[in-house]
Amino acid sequence: MSFSRRDFIKSAGLALGALTVPSWMYSAEAYPGYFPEVNKDTLAEAALSLAKRLGASYADIRINRYRLEAVNTREKQVLNVSAGQNFGFGVRVLVNGTWGFAGSPLVTAEEAQRVTREAVDIAKANSAIQRKKIELVPTPKIVSTWKSSFDKDPFDVPADEKVKMLLAINEAALGVKGVSFVNSGMAWVNEQKYLATSDGSRIEQYLIRGNPSFSVTAVDRATGDFQAVNAPREGQAIGYEYMSKHDWVADAQKAGEHAVMKLKAKPITPGKYDLVLHPSHLFLTIHESIGHPTELDRALLWEANYAGTSFLTPEKTGKLQFGSKIMNIVADRTQERGLATVGYDDEAVPGQKWNLIKDGVFVDWQTTRDLAKLVGRDKSYGCLHADSWGSVPFPRMPNVSLVPAGEDVTQDQLISGVENGILIYGRGSYSIDQQRYNFQFGGQTFWEIKNGKVQGMLRDVAYQARTTDFWGSMDAIGGKSTYEIPGSFNDGKGEPGQSNAVSHGCPVARFRNINVLNTAGTPTAGMMEDDN
Amino acid sequence: MLLTEQEAKALTDKLLSMVKADDATVGVGSDKLSHLRFAGNNVLTSGTRTSQSANVTVWVEGRRGSATTNDLDEASLAAVVEQAQAIARTAPVDREYMPTLGRQIYKPSKGYVEATANLSLTDRAKHVGEILGEFEKNKVIGAGFHSARAQSGATATKNGNFDFERTTNVSLSTTARMPDGSSSGYFLRSHYDIARLDTRRIAAEAIRKAVSGRGARAIDPGVYTVILEPQAVADLIGGGLGFAFNARTAEEGRSAFSAGGKTKIGQQIFDEKVNVYSDPWNADVPGSQSSQGGIPAEKIVLVKNGILQTLVYNRYWAKQKGVDPTAGPVNTIMESGVSASTIDEMIKSTEKGILVSRFWYIRGTNPRNMSQTGLTRDGVWRIENGKIAYPLKNFRFNQSTIDLLAPGNVLMMGKPERVGSSEGGGGGASLLPALKVKEFNFTSQSEAV
Repeated sequence: MSFSRRDFIKSAGLALGALTVPSWMYSAEAYPGYFPEVNKDTLAEAALSLAKRLGASYADIRINRYRLEAVNTREKQVLNVSAGQNFGFGVRVLVNGTWGFAGSPLVTAEEAQRVTREAVDIAKANSAIQRKKIELVPTPKIVSTWKSSFDKDPFDVPADEKVKMLLAINEAALGVKGVSFVNSGMAWVNEQKYLATSDGSRIEQYLIRGNPSFSVTAVDRATGDFQAVNAPREGQAIGYEYMSKHDWVADAQKAGEHAVMKLKAKPITPGKYDLVLHPSHLFLTIHESIGHPTELDRALLWEANYAGTSFLTPEKTGKLQFGSKIMNIVADRTQERGLATVGYDDEAVPGQKWNLIKDGVFVDWQTTRDLAKLVGRDKSYGCLHADSWGSVPFPRMPNVSLVPAGEDVTQDQLISGVENGILIYGRGSYSIDQQRYNFQFGGQTFWEIKNGKVQGMLRDVAYQARTTDFWGSMDAIGGKSTYEIPGSFNDGKGEPGQSNAVSHGCPVARFRNINVLNTAGTPTAGMMEDDN
Repeated sequence: MLLTEQEAKALTDKLLSMVKADDATVGVGSDKLSHLRFAGNNVLTSGTRTSQSANVTVWVEGRRGSATTNDLDEASLAAVVEQAQAIARTAPVDREYMPTLGRQIYKPSKGYVEATANLSLTDRAKHVGEILGEFEKNKVIGAGFHSARAQSGATATKNGNFDFERTTNVSLSTTARMPDGSSSGYFLRSHYDIARLDTRRIAAEAIRKAVSGRGARAIDPGVYTVILEPQAVADLIGGGLGFAFNARTAEEGRSAFSAGGKTKIGQQIFDEKVNVYSDPWNADVPGSQSSQGGIPAEKIVLVKNGILQTLVYNRYWAKQKGVDPTAGPVNTIMESGVSASTIDEMIKSTEKGILVSRFWYIRGTNPRNMSQTGLTRDGVWRIENGKIAYPLKNFRFNQSTIDLLAPGNVLMMGKPERVGSSEGGGGGASLLPALKVKEFNFTSQSEAV
């Protein structure tokens, strides 16, 4: 469906209480000459009716436009300023209980018909070898529009203003004695998504995401050592106001000071430590050890050939003690600034919020319409997503977040209860097995805690743990004042590989008696076995 | 749907004719992808996608701007050129600007096969149907991914260069799991010629590994002598090794190939058996005919008998340092400088050790010595007295690549095979051997299957 500006204001006013006129209604055709407007409803009707005539029990078409802008710098120079647009459509059909999909960048009625036939041909060719038919749970017909929350459209901000901001970041970092290099960049993404389904849904959505970043490096040429510290914040579903909401320049200076400090920091002595994990670090641990194992497609072996399966299985639902009793995890596609926040997923299911872990017990899954059917549910939680018009939509992670303590507990209060521990900030190296049992995480900066007080900086720290042991050892979490919502801009999964952006809100949290290793050399777990 | 050389030339000529900037490089590309994903002994998803793109980078008084689009009609091409020029007009001066290359002569590599580009849907369904039948016959739960891709594209410069290439790649990976979840096997191979993709072998190997992996035992993590199958080598060091020898980072003192304020060029960095090179015309893993910046690719030797021979200079850094830019790398080939051994010979020569099929979720932990962590997956076996004794549960490892390939640590090397990283889904295949290494560091156990 094509929306006029008046229609949009009317529907947005009803649905969102929004009174301001969104700039994108004027600037969707951001650069003159790009992409002649097409009547999406007409195109969709042609594709969906043909799919039905050719035998599809269900069909959908997504007609999507993506805008991307990236600015990258190093030290005092600009490496690149680039802008890109990408427009196309994908048709998904279910024929004889078998999926077929085809996509094309040529957005015309004639091509829509050709692509629909191709999708049906694929489904029919493969239905001959299909063992069990795919079925979908129903979902209500939706006719709506939705826009993500932002104040300042980054595509309205001139490139030179972005360059100026990044060079100021670099200057602040380079002003620190001992800093040798700095890279900085920002990426902005705009998705304009149209979805029509054979169930009658017609949905338009407009999303903005931003990912500013920097990395500061200090080099000690005499020893050959070098250490880097990255920006303390991650990407969010936010407009250009992100750049004024925080003092990125002061952050860069601090990162520079920490990079220099890291060169002389005390190497960690391997052993057991209590850990206090800041949200800038903890979010990725949540992502890997809770977000992925609660994906139902993994538990049903759909990802067995690539990302892996899960230690969670359907019979463990409502029974498995995943973590300590203070642990509550919500999946939430409505969370403000969440990278996976949407109005509707890619098969017209509304964004929702639900519990994955309640009082430490694993209680529910991330689902789509086909997955929900396989575990006897009557509705989907709306986790279907494709990263492009040309990608097959499949189950992707919603925002998965740790609920903060009801009372306001500060980071200092958590630290005061630690005799021998480490405070960790930032996203470092991360690795986890294919069923999500065993993980190892590093960070950006590490601080020794002795007798309830933060001491000096440590280096070369990583911790290894078993997922349920780790979450079982969480004995305290911070309150709302410590809550942040960092996220991962590019989370890979699936075949062909697709990228998803997803956030993980969390407060600071404390974990007891965790195995920590030193990553400077090649860490070993024992002596060499005797051999020939 | 793929652009022919004539179509690509017409498009790049048109783009260049629209450029008013002082210098420019323009490119057009087309891509055709067809795939089938199966799991739980059933078809999951399948599809095709065609795509196309145009990109423009211009310099106006030394200021650079770039823009891309996927619409190739005349109005869109004009818009993308104008957008790049508009960005360039407001950008700061590009301090690393190098004038684009004039006409270059390329020696084409052969990595395109028409039958791969136009695979038959029914043939693919037949092959995958046979694989599903093998899974059922062997009472395993199988999954896999079949993917065929064809790409063509061209780059042209305002100074007169034109470079057209087209490639194909078909890959198949399969995973077989025992129904009780006690064991899993995996196998992946790819080729540019669909006729040379052995789908039966790929399924049979995954099934064999799953079946023979039943009853896995746990042994303590520690330092072990290890035999790495080519897939494990691809996962661990894979295609990345050939591209790790960056001159600039080494000279800036932030690389594993620098120490004491100098680079390690001419030093013995690896075992003397180890040779690493890049060769665009290799018959198994053909690389691009053009390397970085459009320089015609040549065979370059990176490591010879374990000695670091070449660090890679891009055009800008080469000019700063007064040397020639490097004509590569475009692929990674690792081979033994002495006679190659089979995996059976490696096993027979091992009194106590571990055979590893594959690694997973590998991430860097320390760039100073190229340390990584990750896990074994889909097949680990104990070797005792020259024989495979029993399957093992998985381990996490922490291992430096520099230490792995260090003098004295590489005991035997196999004949290299075309293999791509499993995390990369088989794209960007390299030519890599099996390795037997004296010491490999497993740091904890994983119960994952």
